[in-house]
Amino acid sequence: MIPHAPILTIVLPIFAAFLTPVVGIVAKRFGVERARDWFVVGVAILMFIIVASMVPAVWGGEVLVYKLGGWSPPWGIVLAVDGLNLLVALIIAGVVSLVAIYSVVYMERDSGLEKYYTLLMLVTAGSMGVTLTGDIFNLYVFFEIMSISSYALVAFRRNWDSVEAGVKYLVIGSLGTSLLLLSIVFLYGLIGSLNIADLAWKLGEIKATQSLPMIVPLMLALLVTGFGIKIAMVPLHAWLPDAYQAAPSAVSALLSGATTTVGIYAMLRVSYLLFGALAIGMMFIVLGLITMVAGGLMALVQRDLKRLLAYSCISQMGYILLGVGFGSSASGSAQVMGIQGGLFHLLNNAIYKVLLFMCAGAIVYRVGTSNLDELGGLGKNMPITATLFVVGALAISGIPPLNGFASKWTIYVAGMEAGQPICTAIAVVMSALTLAYFLKAINLMFLGQRPEHLREVKEAPPLMLFPMLMLAAFCVVFGILPGLGIDLVRPAQSAVMNQLGYIGSVMGAG
Amino acid sequence: MSLNYIIAMMLFTLGIYCLLFKRNLMKMVIGLQVMTNGLHLFLISLGYREGGIAPILAGEMLERGAAAELAAAAVDPVPQALVLTSIVINVCTMALALSLAVYTYRHYGTLNPFRIRRLKG
Repeated sequence: MIPHAPILTIVLPIFAAFLTPVVGIVAKRFGVERARDWFVVGVAILMFIIVASMVPAVWGGEVLVYKLGGWSPPWGIVLAVDGLNLLVALIIAGVVSLVAIYSVVYMERDSGLEKYYTLLMLVTAGSMGVTLTGDIFNLYVFFEIMSISSYALVAFRRNWDSVEAGVKYLVIGSLGTSLLLLSIVFLYGLIGSLNIADLAWKLGEIKATQSLPMIVPLMLALLVTGFGIKIAMVPLHAWLPDAYQAAPSAVSALLSGATTTVGIYAMLRVSYLLFGALAIGMMFIVLGLITMVAGGLMALVQRDLKRLLAYSCISQMGYILLGVGFGSSASGSAQVMGIQGGLFHLLNNAIYKVLLFMCAGAIVYRVGTSNLDELGGLGKNMPITATLFVVGALAISGIPPLNGFASKWTIYVAGMEAGQPICTAIAVVMSALTLAYFLKAINLMFLGQRPEHLREVKEAPPLMLFPMLMLAAFCVVFGILPGLGIDLVRPAQSAVMNQLGYIGSVMGAG
Repeated sequence: MSLNYIIAMMLFTLGIYCLLFKRNLMKMVIGLQVMTNGLHLFLISLGYREGGIAPILAGEMLERGAAAELAAAAVDPVPQALVLTSIVINVCTMALALSLAVYTYRHYGTLNPFRIRRLKG
């Protein structure tokens, strides 16, 4: 492990964020303006390497506890890395690296790019902070950094649509983060601590001696609402389709790959650690079902590619919640399977959703619109993009031998073992519906009559195809060798189930 | 003391009401601010103590090494630090919200959120 790795993953993007304009000015002076973009790519890859350097220790069963300023928990802020954090950190670092490479070409026609890269790095820093921190107020602050930068990124182009989407996102998102703060204030008032492990320990002690105070379910509700807004859980999803449609595709890819993953992570971490006693399994199942069905049905009627992808993103979040819910409501092998399936789906969702948004971006880059009615017959012009989109679409619909099938199958099996055949059946039906709307999109975009003005459309530039190819390769590899993916998420799953180990490691570091 | 909590709750409720029912973007931003200020008042009241002293170990108390005495008399410093952080975050949100409102007005000629809805599907 690289020394000080946990804090470096947060500090590096923050420094890079504010260095980017400087690098941009210097590079302009020397006539190599694109050096700024490659600087950001380099930082993102370096961050990935630092995160990856923590893998051997954490997968060996260790919980890395990094005390900021040498203050022991529960007084100081700690960064605590266990299997669950590390999986999410790997996803974020990977997605950010690929999005940064993709942005080099995709964003080249925009002006004010140093602001774009600054915001990109700030979103990264915020996501990493939420992921690695072990202090609940620290989590809130990083969550705000992530949210505020993503509002600005959504509105980056300042057209009528992106500004409208930005305003909607900002109002709903700020309401959500205020609810988070309210819940944290209640927690502090009840327990008098901010360290998550300490809070969990003391809540456990309260529960052992007396019945839980009435405020505890309210705190859970506030936290789930706050994080639910970030992952666009139905009925808190209203901002997401607008934001993903209006934002530049690279930003949509980043938001769908990184920030929603962080939202799910925070929800899991907090509800498992603090509120394990309540019926969170049933809560996740119900929320997951509603989100999955509503998102899927809405996606069916969309006429805009990016909006369709946004609704399918909502639907996939439902699958993740459902899988985790099956796991939490059961015991034994169903518990293992459910949580594994949910987390594997989290990983897969990050892979193919980013891939699909990048394909949509490639089409927008070459054609200039993502309206499905104006597209058609592009399969002849953009064969590679078309192939990659089909791979992503089949993966998200759960067609073997692609990765979506592996994780969805795990979730179905967990559902049957957990004694929830009806919910499982609904999930299977929704999977078919996913295939339906993606086939519609493929048909409208790549097949059929090609309008006259699309005759000259060229294939996407190689630098945009490279990250897409990598993601598609992951889709295929995790589909053919699902054991590999399961091995990747197994440390995360055992971390979810071993909460006492986390509490013990963090508190024992004092 | 309970007056603080009542006012904090009133501010929070007023803020939410303003955010949900006002048909002007500016008023919604103000509502957001009022709401979070209610939260801040709540948080700071949690750490308040009647007749408490500032939580700084200095001067004569430091010489006596009277840490326990200080702990018994001082107010809780943690909420104050939290509120400061939260105020800074709020300023960021407000600045961004206001600048977006300016852009919205340029594009739509109105601040009524019910008319700012060209994105749909």
